[in-house]
Amino acid sequence: MGKLRTLTRRTFLVGSTAVAGGVAFGIYRAKAPFENPNLAGLPEGAASFNPWVIIDAEKITLIAPHADKGQGVFSAQAAMIVEELDIELDQVEISFGTPDKAYMNGALTDAMVPFPQYDYGKVAEGARRFAGGVVRAALPIMGTGGSSAMPDSYDKLREAGAVARETLKAAASQQAGVPIEGLRTENGAVWLPDGTALTYTSLSAAAAQIEPVTNVTLRDPSQWRILGKPMERVDIVAKSTGTLPYGVDHKTDGMLFATVKVNPRQGGVLISHDATAALAMEGVVDVFEITGGISVVANNTWTAIQAANAITCEWGEATYPPEQDAHWTALSASFTDDRLNAEARNVGDVDAAPGAEVIAEYRSPYVAHAPLEPLNATILVSDDRVDVWTGHQLQMFAVDMVAKITGVDRDNVHLHNQFIGGSFGHRLEFDYLKQAAEIAMKMRGTPVKMTYSREEDFAHDFPRHITMGRGIGKHENGKVTALDVQIAGQSVMTSQMSRIGFSLPGPDTQLHEGAWDYPNLNLPNIRVRSYKETGLAPVSSWRSVGAAPNGFIYDTLLDETIHAAGADPLMERIRLMGHDVSVKVLETVGEMCGWNGHDLGAGRGRGVAYVFSFGVPVATVVEVTQTERGIRLDEVWVAADVGQVIDPVNLENLAQGGTLFGLGHAMNCEITYSDGMAQQSNYHAHESMRLYQAPKVNFTALENNPKIKGFGEPPVPPAAPALGNAIFAATGQRIRELPFNKHIDFV
Amino acid sequence: MQASFTVNGTVRSVDVPEDMPLLWILRDEIGLMGTKYGCGIAQCGACTVHLDGMAVRSCQVRAYELDGAEITTIEGLGTPEAQHPVQEAWIETQVAQCGYCQSGQIMQAASMLANNPNPSDDEIDAVMSGNLCRCGTYPRIREAIRLAIQKQGA
Amino acid sequence: MQTLFRVFVTVFVCILGTISWADGDAPATISAPAAGSVTLAEGLAAFDRVYEVVNHPRCANCHTGPDNVPMWYGGSEGPARPHGMNINAGQSRIGVETLICSTCHRTSTDLRSAPHAPPRAGLDWQLAPVEFEWFGKTPAEVCAQLSDPDRNGGRDWMGLAEHLVDDAGHYGFVLWGWNPGGGRDPAPYSLQAHVDDVLIWGVAGQPCPAE
Repeated sequence: MGKLRTLTRRTFLVGSTAVAGGVAFGIYRAKAPFENPNLAGLPEGAASFNPWVIIDAEKITLIAPHADKGQGVFSAQAAMIVEELDIELDQVEISFGTPDKAYMNGALTDAMVPFPQYDYGKVAEGARRFAGGVVRAALPIMGTGGSSAMPDSYDKLREAGAVARETLKAAASQQAGVPIEGLRTENGAVWLPDGTALTYTSLSAAAAQIEPVTNVTLRDPSQWRILGKPMERVDIVAKSTGTLPYGVDHKTDGMLFATVKVNPRQGGVLISHDATAALAMEGVVDVFEITGGISVVANNTWTAIQAANAITCEWGEATYPPEQDAHWTALSASFTDDRLNAEARNVGDVDAAPGAEVIAEYRSPYVAHAPLEPLNATILVSDDRVDVWTGHQLQMFAVDMVAKITGVDRDNVHLHNQFIGGSFGHRLEFDYLKQAAEIAMKMRGTPVKMTYSREEDFAHDFPRHITMGRGIGKHENGKVTALDVQIAGQSVMTSQMSRIGFSLPGPDTQLHEGAWDYPNLNLPNIRVRSYKETGLAPVSSWRSVGAAPNGFIYDTLLDETIHAAGADPLMERIRLMGHDVSVKVLETVGEMCGWNGHDLGAGRGRGVAYVFSFGVPVATVVEVTQTERGIRLDEVWVAADVGQVIDPVNLENLAQGGTLFGLGHAMNCEITYSDGMAQQSNYHAHESMRLYQAPKVNFTALENNPKIKGFGEPPVPPAAPALGNAIFAATGQRIRELPFNKHIDFV
Repeated sequence: MQASFTVNGTVRSVDVPEDMPLLWILRDEIGLMGTKYGCGIAQCGACTVHLDGMAVRSCQVRAYELDGAEITTIEGLGTPEAQHPVQEAWIETQVAQCGYCQSGQIMQAASMLANNPNPSDDEIDAVMSGNLCRCGTYPRIREAIRLAIQKQGA
Repeated sequence: MQTLFRVFVTVFVCILGTISWADGDAPATISAPAAGSVTLAEGLAAFDRVYEVVNHPRCANCHTGPDNVPMWYGGSEGPARPHGMNINAGQSRIGVETLICSTCHRTSTDLRSAPHAPPRAGLDWQLAPVEFEWFGKTPAEVCAQLSDPDRNGGRDWMGLAEHLVDDAGHYGFVLWGWNPGGGRDPAPYSLQAHVDDVLIWGVAGQPCPAE
């Protein structure tokens, strides 16, 4: 497992005095370059001016290091580069590249400082820069997650393109003896005043000889020819013709196929097993123990899975309460001082605030990731190197994990990152990769593709963390006067980081994210407290992490209090919000749907919800009808502000997709434990939304947010509360427990 | 058992266990990777191919059904250079996000339109709901089907 | 070693919940009691058992009414609910209007299926004719339907028994009811006991319960 690394409070947390008083050891410029990993092994005549652009005599290769799990970043990263590089997307090759700290994610720390992300004041921004610098120096992390690929890439990759362009111009200027001012760039070439085109590839050898031109100015968005306009993503044709290979599709000569059967009581041991039937099956090559369970290697995946199913195993106990009820009981008892994670917000005096009370308790269950591509990795252990083909979001940690298990130096572990068939956080975990490495070690010299069966994938998911909320809302004279929110949850950061080998000091911010930073700047009394539980099932980041359960709790409490006050759900949210960018989002969604109150009569109703997460305000309106056989979702409207729209088509895709993801899980998904094992084994038991249930989703993007933000996660959190609020509007039934189908049917 | 059948116009002969699903014969024996494994129990539709002209879940079709069968996979429906109208519609509408379910979605949609060139919204809902998408591309799938209907001249 | 191997194969096959017969074997036989040898009480008791079978989810779930929706679960598996994925068998009762049942439910004399996978039988998977609606019906309603040649395919009680045996010979839905695969609960009693009960009921004069 490796020793836990503990980042000390002093090096990691930012106190406001340190920032305001100047910093003893300087602020690292975000632009200070790491060594370019492309330089090692660069052939003669090829040039790479920065880690993202490689040019040789034949072709131009762009490195798009972020993992693509359907959120469109592969294409978007390339688009940012080609915008400045003055070349077209069909003139370049694009690669995920190799894991390297040069590709560290500079946007991950925005969420780690104790300022809400809508605070762009000098102190907050200074703290973010400082934290970014510290992390860059101490622990540069390459990773995709937290809706950070766009903010991480926006300046960096456009700059990479601009640097490449200017360097190529400089090379052309020298080569042609023409002053640089007379040159222009277009379509992958430098154009001389006399109309001659010097293609970038023809200039590569010359460009390799000169120092990269790093003093560049980025173009104003008003000058963009690609960004900001609808794009056809570069992977769309392959995904529509079955020709895009995912990790699970990897093929190589001599490859064998494996699967695993690991203790479904997560973290428990394998006590004994009987593989006689499995070993007797035709096509089975080997059966052997691995950490926590058994592996079967066979001539094809299906035989491996059939054989694994035929092995009888005696499993050890789980490391958490075996029955689901005990998980809720434990959370119920967590709202105590000794479990206090943080008093994340305290404005005014909620206890003394005037008004009648609304008192409520909310439940948000474990839910599975269950993306459609099951976990898989192909690994070949050779004498001097290891090759890994898988899709992973924490690329350098993945290399570390495999290096540790195989004993091969991490410089000789080659991760070939793959397109991912959905993740929602699933590809942040390492158990499957470690199992594949153990198998490859045993089968040394033979490449082995290890694929989880769907049942194994469900059994070994690290689900979204379970959460309980308790709230008191107060109202007087038709207005909300106070919100007092307490949230208790299984600590997702503790659980997830422990498996990476970290312990982060300080509170688990995900236990109040989405609640503490719901602006409500005009609400005079607010308190948000979170409580940390750690003895329950192991959990991991699930698309939008804490903002989904916490947003459900906070916004539903707000909605209940608004209704009790007799106010309008949209108008009162607008009145309380106080954050201009968010107010515009709420006003926009109201215009989009022609909001005229929540009650549409005859069993029809509308619910509005708002959640701010990952720096993005999102407002969602859901309209439902109560039919004889259950609730029908009729239509949805979503407004959001990501600061800068890079590809409006992809953005709409994410708005629709994230909203339906949030709605579907709210309707019918939960993971429950019995005898220490997840009871839901396949999609019949954890279905989310089907096509016939999908309403039309209308979307409008605004651009008032001061900085560009990502959008993979933000549409998810407001979906569940908007649906719950709509069901209340249509039926008068207030459901405080997810999934809603515990209390109502959907058609 | 030995089975001989046609895949995308090419005769294939395999020797596999008699209950081995067509899905895994296509992927692990023949090496056609466009047809995907998502659940193995016909709950997701990612494995959809055409068998003798009808859409089927290849995870449910066993080797003993295959002798003499004509199979079309996504690779046989159309290629990047020669796209089926349904694939053209999918591309123009930019349906795919992660894309993993889309081979199955397209195969099912193509089969539906071959049998019923102008389906109503209810009929689309009745045929396509066996194909699961975790990324939520359903609104665009509906749009792409309507565009494909136009392209195919209904 | 050979014996041990056979034992394991048998255990393995049983784990998957199947019994299959070689072609040509008849899994049930017709042997009616002598005329007049069955009392009214015995006849009604036999019908009670017949109703237990036809009302069991393995039978009733596909003997649904004119909404043409198959059912899932029921009995010990929890409350019955409509077939997932918006499936509707249509007036054809076999899905030709939208998605034909064989898209997922393959026709096979091998009745095995994985847990939660689509069950399969030797006849093309489909709903029973709409006249044979049993789901949610009372014993009296089912008895009336089974006794009515206009609503039971023109059969007398011997014809009903012969139909059961004939269907089973094709590895059809009747046989499937007791060999459903996938770890599903089979129908109660046995195929032979059910055929016997139909014959007892028939000889008794097809008496129907009051409710």
